[in-house]
Amino acid sequence: MKNFRDIETLSAYIDGQLNASDAARLETRLKTDPELASVMNDLRAARGILRKLPARKAPRNFTLTRQMVGLKPPMPRTYPLFRLATAFAAVLFLFSFTATTLAPMMNFSGMSAPAQYGYGGGCEGPCGGGADPAMEAAMATEAAPMAPEEALAQEAVPTMTSDPAAAEMAPLEATQDTARILETPSAKDSAPETADQAEVQQEAPAPSFNWTMLFLVLTVVGAVALWAMNLSARNKWR
Amino acid sequence: MDETALIHSAQQGDLNAFNTLILHYQDAVFNTAVRILGDDDMAQDAAQEAFISAFQSIKSFRGGSFKAWILRTVTNACLDELRRQKRRPTTPLEPETSDGEEMDSPKWLADSNMTPAQKAEADELEHAIQHCLDALPTEFRTAVVLADVQGMDYTEVASAVRVPLGTIKSRLARARLRLRECLRSFEELLPSSFRLEEENIR
Repeated sequence: MKNFRDIETLSAYIDGQLNASDAARLETRLKTDPELASVMNDLRAARGILRKLPARKAPRNFTLTRQMVGLKPPMPRTYPLFRLATAFAAVLFLFSFTATTLAPMMNFSGMSAPAQYGYGGGCEGPCGGGADPAMEAAMATEAAPMAPEEALAQEAVPTMTSDPAAAEMAPLEATQDTARILETPSAKDSAPETADQAEVQQEAPAPSFNWTMLFLVLTVVGAVALWAMNLSARNKWR
Repeated sequence: MDETALIHSAQQGDLNAFNTLILHYQDAVFNTAVRILGDDDMAQDAAQEAFISAFQSIKSFRGGSFKAWILRTVTNACLDELRRQKRRPTTPLEPETSDGEEMDSPKWLADSNMTPAQKAEADELEHAIQHCLDALPTEFRTAVVLADVQGMDYTEVASAVRVPLGTIKSRLARARLRLRECLRSFEELLPSSFRLEEENIR
């Protein structure tokens, strides 16, 4: 048995992959070395038998369909613009719907306590410490339905106009006021709260509801247009 | 068939153009797959997978021999399939003894040689050659199928299996030696020219 380098050279030789000088050298050896010649015949026979192997025909066609390769019909150029606009309208609709419908409902259930905290303990600077406690309690009941920002804004007025000496006492009195406010019976507060909220609900939603409807209409129209474009593109593709 | 124009159209997403190329090369692709995998059903799956993969990546085709490129794709699909099989080997059902009891470790499971029954089935030369091809290690089989069955040159084979040219030379030489040894056991099936050479050697 020849070494593997010889076998590799023989294999390359029968494939015509040797350069002229290597091929000539090998041919000289083949004439003088019968063992090398027999190995070459072995390799040539193996190669020959493989080349005679009948070619198998494909048992079916392997042609591809659009579904197989995940091709989608070509869309009009305006399609992405429509899609973006519809998505934007949908987001605006959701935002608007949440703001006009859900936000008041959330405020209605959880408004009184934050407002009270906002009035009494919410301010960090000198709040209206010099005012009458009874007046403050009344103001607190009125401020309850308002947003905390509004309550803080109302508090700022007495602070600016009050005596500086009284302002120094503010943190202590504010704490006391908070305690008093918290002691105020809830039944006393509930009536004005309900009345104020009813007013807010009657006034506020009216203009923004139109926006909600507008966004809803835009979303629906956009979705229908997208569907029609899609359908038309598919029909043309067929 | 203007192959270049069809390839260009396929690169633009024209599926009909690509299907024309498929019809032209599907026999070569299936033949390669069936010689590497040794199973018709698996070869059909590999061929189909290769064509899908080829269409999806046809933009990466930069010219040269399209046949070599598509055969490289199907070779990769076959090698993937063989790797999958290695990861999830299938075990045949336990055979039963004459008493109806299961044989725990039947000898035929460990025997890599052909059984008498299998030998009887391999009564045609093609079956004998395929049996010898199947007995080769995957990398040798791939090289010999591409070079000797498909007639690709060394450079194309090296490009298809992504190994150096020297490795292909070495694999081909080893594969041919092993094939010759295996084919000796099917001497009576071999064509006369092949037998004559053998007689001369002796």
